[in-house]
Amino acid sequence: MDFGLLITIFIGVALVNNLVLAGFLGICPFLGVSRKVDMAFGMGCAVTFVITVSGVVTWLIVHGLFNWVGTAVFENAGALYFLKYVAFIMVIASMVQLVEMYLKKFFPPLYEAFGVFLPLITTNCAILGACLYIDMKPETQNLINAATYAFGGGVGFTLAITIMAGIREHINFSDVPKPLQGAGITMLVAGILSLAFMGFTGIGK
Amino acid sequence: MKKFIDESWLVLLMGIGFACLLAGAQTGLNDRIQDNKKAALNQGIAEVVPDLGSEAPTMFEIDGNNVYKCLDNNGQLAGWAIVGSTGGFVDTIELVAGLSPDGNTITGIKVLVQNETPGLGDKITTDPAEKNFYPRQYTGRSTNGPFSLTKQDPQNPNDIQAITGATYSSQYVMDIVNDIIMRIKPQLDQHR
Amino acid sequence: MADENGSNLKQFTDGIVNNNPVLVQLLGMCPMLAITNSVANALVMGAAATFVVVMSNTITSLLRNLIKPHVRILIFTLTIATFVTIADFLLKAFVYDVAMKLGPFIPLIIVNCMIICRAEVVAIRNGLARSLADAFGIGIGFTFALLILGVIRELLGAGTWTFPFPIPGIAPEGFIQIMPSSFADNGHNWVIMVLPPGAFLTLGVVIGVVNWIRSKSEGGA
Repeated sequence: MDFGLLITIFIGVALVNNLVLAGFLGICPFLGVSRKVDMAFGMGCAVTFVITVSGVVTWLIVHGLFNWVGTAVFENAGALYFLKYVAFIMVIASMVQLVEMYLKKFFPPLYEAFGVFLPLITTNCAILGACLYIDMKPETQNLINAATYAFGGGVGFTLAITIMAGIREHINFSDVPKPLQGAGITMLVAGILSLAFMGFTGIGK
Repeated sequence: MKKFIDESWLVLLMGIGFACLLAGAQTGLNDRIQDNKKAALNQGIAEVVPDLGSEAPTMFEIDGNNVYKCLDNNGQLAGWAIVGSTGGFVDTIELVAGLSPDGNTITGIKVLVQNETPGLGDKITTDPAEKNFYPRQYTGRSTNGPFSLTKQDPQNPNDIQAITGATYSSQYVMDIVNDIIMRIKPQLDQHR
Repeated sequence: MADENGSNLKQFTDGIVNNNPVLVQLLGMCPMLAITNSVANALVMGAAATFVVVMSNTITSLLRNLIKPHVRILIFTLTIATFVTIADFLLKAFVYDVAMKLGPFIPLIIVNCMIICRAEVVAIRNGLARSLADAFGIGIGFTFALLILGVIRELLGAGTWTFPFPIPGIAPEGFIQIMPSSFADNGHNWVIMVLPPGAFLTLGVVIGVVNWIRSKSEGGA
């Protein structure tokens, strides 16, 4: 196992190609849940968990189930690939359901705080996006690399959304022109954040 | 059990219906998609092997790389087109490199698949403003030694100048070309 | 009957103007930011999303009396995922080059909240005619918003407007040069506009302008 490669993959997806700020994935929760730092962090943790589990499970489905059934029944490993997208979204939806039940039982305050955003993780493109990238990229064709990539993606998401929440808590006290209040100023701040993250370009490559 | 079926028959039915629909769409359109892929490759080959005739190139494999033997209109060897790819850290880059019939000169390279940053890294494919400066550098170069990347104006015969702001994308492309000329080119002789 | 038509028309125009999914409701932001670095990408993405929202609204509206409330999200996702896969095949079959550029953002239409939102808010409660009017309105509104961003970003970033396929007479090579060619030659183009930060900044300004216009017109009325 190449430990150096794992670190490169992790830094690559968490900082250099941050899913939110360079890949534009998960923008909806990035705008919706980034008002308070603690909530943003909680959301980030939930997403990290779902992303890691879904990344591993979808990898297993493609490399295990699809390739095996495809080879056994159709004599073509790629025969079932047209079901990929449907399978991915089904896995993610059931994982979110799982997290929801777990939080409801063990962390009711957190569950209350997430409110409507928890089921919305299903439609968080960061998760489906990470699964699709894992499927596409040559370096995530083995399980450990894929899991590292998924986890790194979740950490990157948490980082971006928490930084954003920290900034937004301060924006509350500043005098923003009326038309820009809310989404407008958040976008502009995200643009500047994204510029900052571009400074990581080249690290780990 | 009855309750379960009561609640979910629609989902199951739709699942089956949609799977059939998808299988139908896949069978119906797959040929066309494969044709498109082939057309993109053939166009790439035509660009890097200038004397390519009307006859379709014959393909064989050397060490996992697809190599196309290209004939001109008189049935003479017009050149070789070699497909190579790398796991660039951003995404896969796939390109086709054309070599002269004797294998000693690069007649052109064409990037087929890339997902580099628009405006920076994607200059490895097209760069209308600078007339495809980066890929054009390889045309006419000798295949003697590996190329090396430089950020300044090239000094040595094997220097390739990187794209400003996209050193890594430039490096990946150069790695593929180096791999092709160092590893695949020496084996071309057996296939003449 | 006339009233029914009128409300369908309103449903249609609302999707484009008052209820524009991106600029007003702030849904479907991811593709909005990611693929609007050229006009061609914006057009193809808009067309694909319109196809999916129309098909998903049709199916949901036709089956609305059969769908049990607590499995509805599952059915919506299933429907959308299926039609996105079909759209993916269609794009690869007919506009291969652009489809390759859009890459994972085609399958990501599945998680575009805009589409599931239309199924949940409109299609499950209304008949086919109204759902279709809504779907087309939303689809066109989405395409329109993508185009605004694509036009601005590509113009400032590269000085051109590209199209998904060559248009004889206007753009025989698939793009038209808007800025003088010295713009990009001399490095005066704003590369930042086609990079990620440019997307955020442009969208922030566009949203601000839209809000400003809306507050003006509301104040006047």
